[in-house]
Amino acid sequence: MKYLCALALAGCGNLQGFGGPVPPLTTYTVQITGQPSAPLAHPQIALVWGMQWLTEALCILPPENQQAAAVLSAGCRDPFGFVPLRVDANVPTDLVSPTTVDVYTLPTADVMVGDLTARVAYASFVLYDDRNDDGLLALARPNRLGVPTAGPGSETGPTDQTDLVYGASFVTMTAPDQRVGYREGAFIQSAFYPRAGCGDPPPAFSVLAASGFSPFAAVQATLAGTLPQEDDPSQCVQAAPADQPITVPVQPPANVKEVACTENNADSSVRYREPPADTPDFTNRVYACVHLPSFDGTTSSVIELIVSGRTDDACVGITHYVLSGCREDPNCGTPDWDVAPPSWWPC
Amino acid sequence: MLVRSIVIALVALAFTHAPAAHGDDRLLSDDTFAVKSTGTLRLDGAMLVAMPSALPSGMATGLSAGITRECGCLLAYGARVQWAYISESSTFWNVTQQDLRLRATGSLRHAFGRGSLALQLGLGTNIVYEDRTRAQGMAAMLSGSALETRAVAALPAADLEAVVALHVAGPWLMIASGGPSVDILSGNLRGGWTAELGVGWQP
Repeated sequence: MKYLCALALAGCGNLQGFGGPVPPLTTYTVQITGQPSAPLAHPQIALVWGMQWLTEALCILPPENQQAAAVLSAGCRDPFGFVPLRVDANVPTDLVSPTTVDVYTLPTADVMVGDLTARVAYASFVLYDDRNDDGLLALARPNRLGVPTAGPGSETGPTDQTDLVYGASFVTMTAPDQRVGYREGAFIQSAFYPRAGCGDPPPAFSVLAASGFSPFAAVQATLAGTLPQEDDPSQCVQAAPADQPITVPVQPPANVKEVACTENNADSSVRYREPPADTPDFTNRVYACVHLPSFDGTTSSVIELIVSGRTDDACVGITHYVLSGCREDPNCGTPDWDVAPPSWWPC
Repeated sequence: MLVRSIVIALVALAFTHAPAAHGDDRLLSDDTFAVKSTGTLRLDGAMLVAMPSALPSGMATGLSAGITRECGCLLAYGARVQWAYISESSTFWNVTQQDLRLRATGSLRHAFGRGSLALQLGLGTNIVYEDRTRAQGMAAMLSGSALETRAVAALPAADLEAVVALHVAGPWLMIASGGPSVDILSGNLRGGWTAELGVGWQP
């Protein structure tokens, strides 16, 4: 019929060009369970892709002293927690009825882990109160002392968080989760939010669920050079987005705020800083003097000053000061700085 | 050294066997570029570039063929068929369109020396075949109409072209043309352009 129409030399047919409705690449259904203690001004759901992140050594080794324990308690995030890298879809929700979240673009290469023949990305649905009503979930970063916002050693992004997170489908690997998976090519199990004991994620978009593993199992597996097994493999789910709704339980914001905290360094490396001449603002921060951490049981001769973030910061983090060294290594051969202890230096 | 020897030998061989130049075998003679066109019918083929019929941007390329009959010294009429292809992408779509442009043409022409200049009006239709693929759709394993859509449409169209034809040798001409064009897409008049460069044959 279309061809007859065309041959009739009349203006007919339905050319769309670049216009017309755009079909989503996939659609997820998100159900909120529970109610927040106070009404939310602008409740929204965001699809947040995670980054591959390793905590710094200081946060997983036993603290050297009581002061150090206080700093690590205030400045270290959950080493098994979900760390966001990029926010994709943002959709309003009424907190009651299932919310449909359309995904129009694939995850970008920076959130996928693996090579071109086998890579995977994971995301979490985050419930938040869009308190500044900009329609977007903003990701904050730790509020470290003396960090430049440009040039070497800089960290970008806001340190304050206007939006308030109330829940996420994937908060930490040590608790049951439901996550969004996106797989290209083959699947190779890696330490990128591992789900050992569960089946492989299906190709393209999927819904994945797992029971989580205990921190003890994670430590044991790491020492054995393996991946931690999920506590309950019967909770493993690999499903198509249309077949499996995702549940986001409402939680106290203090329990889930790290879901909106991103990191500038993903490889557990530490950025050391030269102590300033004037006393840093230690208000609402705790600090301690510790030796450089090591995994081989030896004690380093280098002493560093570690400072936590403020108690009212959106994201936790630690600032590291050394009297001599380079930005990435206090033991570098040619130090970028080598200064005498300033008058305020407590170590 | 060996290579050099071989080259010298080949050159010597070529000269040894080169035929003597004779007047009858010359590639160019006095009447090589003589115009031998006496008829009124002209066929031509050309390469085509044009603004796509139904896309807001890009440049379609293709082929064109036509027949023209000259009647008297001022008028000509004929028909043309053009095929143009374009593939463009946006954030969400990879769009391929093929245009089949059919025209009945009428021209006002003026002959001068070996050449002629004409103002040619073409009326007809652009039959557009469109194939759209959702960008990233295959990676997301979309299927059916969510992945790909096809459509065919016929758009009323017209173009006005300046045509320059130059007799080169014998019955052969070089022809260049170009000018504005319009079509009606979804009830809206759209402007465009078209240009051709080709060869004509007028025995």
